[in-house]
Amino acid sequence: MEQILEQLPIVIKSLNIGFLQTLKLFFVTLIGAFPLGLIIAFGSMSRFKPLSYFTKIIVWIVRGTPLMIQLLIIYYFPGLVLHNPIWGGGETGRFLAAAVSFILNYACYFSEIYRGGIQGVPAGQEEAGLVLGMTKSQIFFKVTLLQMIKRIVPPMSNEIITLVKDTSLARIIALQEIIWAGQAFMKGSQGISGAIWPLFFTAVYYLIFNGILTVLLGRLEKKLSYFK
Amino acid sequence: MKKITLLMMSLLMAFSMTACGNSDKKETSSDAASSESDLSYIKDKGTLVVGITDFEPMDYKDSNGEWIGFDADMATAFAESLGVKVEFVEIDWDNKIMELDGKTIDCVWNGMTLVDEVVNSMECSNAYCNNAQIVVVPADKADLYQDVDSLSDLTFAVEAGSAGEEQANALGLNYTAVKAQADAVMEVAAGTSDAAIIDSLMAAAMVGEGTSYADLTYTIGLNSEKYGVGFRKGSDLAAALNDFFASSYADGSMQECAEKYGVQAAIIAQ
Repeated sequence: MEQILEQLPIVIKSLNIGFLQTLKLFFVTLIGAFPLGLIIAFGSMSRFKPLSYFTKIIVWIVRGTPLMIQLLIIYYFPGLVLHNPIWGGGETGRFLAAAVSFILNYACYFSEIYRGGIQGVPAGQEEAGLVLGMTKSQIFFKVTLLQMIKRIVPPMSNEIITLVKDTSLARIIALQEIIWAGQAFMKGSQGISGAIWPLFFTAVYYLIFNGILTVLLGRLEKKLSYFK
Repeated sequence: MKKITLLMMSLLMAFSMTACGNSDKKETSSDAASSESDLSYIKDKGTLVVGITDFEPMDYKDSNGEWIGFDADMATAFAESLGVKVEFVEIDWDNKIMELDGKTIDCVWNGMTLVDEVVNSMECSNAYCNNAQIVVVPADKADLYQDVDSLSDLTFAVEAGSAGEEQANALGLNYTAVKAQADAVMEVAAGTSDAAIIDSLMAAAMVGEGTSYADLTYTIGLNSEKYGVGFRKGSDLAAALNDFFASSYADGSMQECAEKYGVQAAIIAQ
C-alpha cells in the first residue's frame, strides 16, 4: 500500500497524459462522425440507386469488419502497399490515422441511427408540408430534423458511451492512450516496473467520464421531451 | 433477384481487382527494397526513426521524459555518426515488421532476440548482447523447479511470437500464448498459469522485491540467445551499424555505455 502511495503521483501524471489522448480521439471522432453520418444516411436513402447501393456497400464493409482491422489497414496500408507512408511514424500521424478510422467507423453506425430517426417521422408530416407549399429542404430542417434528433438521442447515447471505451483499440497502432500508459508500468517505465495496479486503475477514468456523459445525455433527452 | 446477382458480381470484380493490384505492387516492393539504398534514404530524410517499446534497461524514459537505456544511447550515437537526428517511436511489438516495411520506422532496436522470425523478415546487425529465456515461478515453489524435467507438468504463459514461445515449443511444454511478456508474468501472479518464460533482463527488472510481484522469482535459464538490431530486408544500414559497433567496441565507448546500465556482462565482443 505504501508503495502504491509513493508511485501514485508518477502514475497519475502518466495516466493523465494518456487520458488526454483518449479524450482528444473521442471528441475528434464525434465532431467528424456526426456530420459524415448524416451524409451517409442521405446517401443510403437516395432514390438514385447506384449511390444508395454504393453507400450501403461501404456501410456493410465498415460495420462488417472489426475496427481493429480497419485501424491496421488505414495506418499500414499506405506504406506497405502504396510505398508512401503518408502518416509517418510519429505520434501525430498515428493519431490522424486513428481519427480517420474512428470517424469512418462511427459515421457508418450513426448513419443507420439517423436513417431510423428520419424514417420514423410519420410520412403524413412530409405530405402536409408539401401541401403547404414547403420545399424538400424546408421540410427537413423545419419539420423532420428536431423530431429526428429527439428520437435518436437514446441510441446515440449508447454509441457515444461505447466510443469512449472503443478508443482503447487505437493502441494496436501504438497510439498512446490511457490503457497503453497503464500497461507501460507492468514492464517498467519511469522507475516503476512490475506494477499491475495502474492498468486496472485506468477503469476509474472511464467510469468517471462515462458517468458525466450519462448525466449530460440524460438532461438532453429530458430537454427534447416536449416532442411527443 | 437480378439486382442481387448484379451486386454480387460487381463485388467479386472489385475484390479480384484489388487482389491483382496487391500482387503487382508486392513484386515491385521487393525490387525497390534491394535496389535503393536505405542509408541514403535516411540521410535525405535527416532522421533515423527507431522503433522501441518501454523496456528497462534497454529503452526507457528518464524522469524528464527523455529516452535513455543501453539501446537508446547506442542508437543516438549511431545516428550521430551518420549525421542524422534520432527519433524514438513506441510501437506495438506484434506489428514491428509491418512498421518497418511500411517505413513508419527505420529500425527495431529494442533488445530484440534474433529468432528465426526476425532473421527471416529483417536485415539484422551482428549480435551485440547475450540474453537467456528463464522460468518465472512463485517464490515458495521455486525449489521444486530447478531443472528442465520438472517443468513438464506445469502450465506456462509465454508472449505470442517471442523467444519464450519458441522454447516452450521446443521443450513440448503445455502453454498459453498471451499478448506481452508482462501479461505472462501477470498470469503467474494471478494463478491462471503455473509459470512463465520471459527474457532474463526483463525478469531482473520485473519480479522480486519492490515490484507488484514480490512473491515471484525466476529459476533456470532454458537457452542462451542474442540480441540484434533489425532493419528493412535488404537495407545497407545493417552493414553501417556493424561498422559502428566494431569501432565503438574498439574504442571502449560501447562497454562504457553498457556499464552505465548494468549490462556489461552481457556484451558481445565485436
